[in-house]
Amino acid sequence: MAYQVSVFLENKIGHFARVTRVLKDISVNIRTMTLTNTANGWGILNLLVSDPEKACESLAEQGFSVALREVIALRMVDRPGGLDELLVKIAGAGISFDNAVGRITDEGKSAILVLDVKDPSEAREKLKAVGINELESHIVYGIPEKT
Amino acid sequence: MEFWEKELETLPQDKLTRLQLDRLNLVIQSAVRSPYYRSLFSGNGDLESLRDIREVNGIPFTTKQHLRDHFPYGFLTLPRKELIRLHSSSGTTGNPTVVFHNRHDIDSWSNLMARSLFCAGVRDTDVFQNIVGYGLFTGGLGFQYGIERLGALSIPAGAGNSARQIKLMRDYGTTVIHAIPSYLARLYDVFLAEGVNPRTDTELRMLIIGAEPHTEAQRQRIQEMFGVKAYNSFGLSEMNGPGVAFECEYQNGLHIWEDAFLVEIVDPETLEPVPDGEYGELVMTTLDRQAMPLIRYRTRDITRILPGICPCGRTHRRIDRITGRTDDMFIIKGCNIYPMQVEGILLRVAEVGSDYVIRLETIDDQDEMIVEVEVKKDWFRGDLLFLDQLQKRLTHMIRDEVLVTPRVKLVEPGSIPKGEGKAVRVFDNRQN
Repeated sequence: MAYQVSVFLENKIGHFARVTRVLKDISVNIRTMTLTNTANGWGILNLLVSDPEKACESLAEQGFSVALREVIALRMVDRPGGLDELLVKIAGAGISFDNAVGRITDEGKSAILVLDVKDPSEAREKLKAVGINELESHIVYGIPEKT
Repeated sequence: MEFWEKELETLPQDKLTRLQLDRLNLVIQSAVRSPYYRSLFSGNGDLESLRDIREVNGIPFTTKQHLRDHFPYGFLTLPRKELIRLHSSSGTTGNPTVVFHNRHDIDSWSNLMARSLFCAGVRDTDVFQNIVGYGLFTGGLGFQYGIERLGALSIPAGAGNSARQIKLMRDYGTTVIHAIPSYLARLYDVFLAEGVNPRTDTELRMLIIGAEPHTEAQRQRIQEMFGVKAYNSFGLSEMNGPGVAFECEYQNGLHIWEDAFLVEIVDPETLEPVPDGEYGELVMTTLDRQAMPLIRYRTRDITRILPGICPCGRTHRRIDRITGRTDDMFIIKGCNIYPMQVEGILLRVAEVGSDYVIRLETIDDQDEMIVEVEVKKDWFRGDLLFLDQLQKRLTHMIRDEVLVTPRVKLVEPGSIPKGEGKAVRVFDNRQN
């Protein structure tokens, strides 16, 4: 079970850097990021990081509106058609998602797709039913497996 | 020089003062029939008639708060069956300000409105398009009754829909328009967009502007756009609405109808009268209203009496255009708004904090009200849709309260200064 860190951001010069500054100070590494802007002067920054709980806690301490959102990470192959193959299966399982981000974990070999869905446990069941297993969080966070 | 009511409008100052005194004494006598004034004057035993108009000084002020506290019928002097209309302020929080009229009051108001329009130069041969909201807002029906009394052809167009306004103007040969000044700038843009020149392609010969503060420069710009003169109108709902003071053809201040209103200008701090020519708060007493007389009502509007005699021959003194307020009310798009109204809405929405900032800006030549508010940290789930819906919900709630559609901006927590003491909540950066 993996989590992404979501931060409310005003679209103003320097505000994004305030977030990265906090992460730098606590030595948390960013794996992927997406920044969504709205027409209303604000947006949401979604981050997959090496330690989401620590990141969330520190950002909250610094006054940010921040939340941990449960996401679902799936394995794909890093070659042409790799994402297509996975998406066909996801669609076949009847899963819709609001947001997604991809990341290469091993160049030319493997990548992961991270989905932001409304109901993660329901999605997990549906995926299981078509034979897709969720990746463990340490792969998403890019850290050694905890023993 | 033509007049609507020559004798009244040109009454020598001493006779006007005498008339005011007689009417004031009648007003005081009838006011004690209302629950509010009965309790106010009850300690005074038998009310003696005033012998000098300046003795009005001894009577306490009436404020908007009094009106709210004694909502809705506390100022009524007549049984309800005598009433034929009410006008009320907008709003869903707290008590609105409501004014009741009997048949005499509507008749008197219509006459003042007709006198005002005639004074500015409107005649019964005109086609008068009234481009303001009808309904509880006094600018719609107030002007309507005045136009009809004067005998011009009225087009009760209501506010908005510029393309249709232009079509009405061209179809029926509109000669006079009444609108708020900020709307006229917008209407002009639509004229240009439609390829119609208001100077040559319409019958327009004059404009009436009011219900919104504006500068002389703004008036000049509107006059240049439309190629006709724009006359200032002043009124407030507590004093019926429009038809309180109006410019004559000389455009040198607004004649305030002193047979219908007793006018005082007081220092807002000391509440003592200031001499003519000095700025202060406008305080008014109704002299010809039966259902709901108001005595020494603090309008909160800042203006001054313009010294000197107007060449038009009217003896009723002139007030300058309103330069500000002694409270925090502001006017945008013709709507009177108190920051408290916005605050009241925010307190009802759990997801946002109660601190806020209101910015009044001119964006693309239009006045906009921007409301900045913080999303509470506990409510943030990283969900874009949730925030989007929250923003829409706030927009609708504020619009329903103040009748102007705001631009709601969600901002990061901590970015709005905390409301300690007298925090400045409203920043007016409008360019007009």
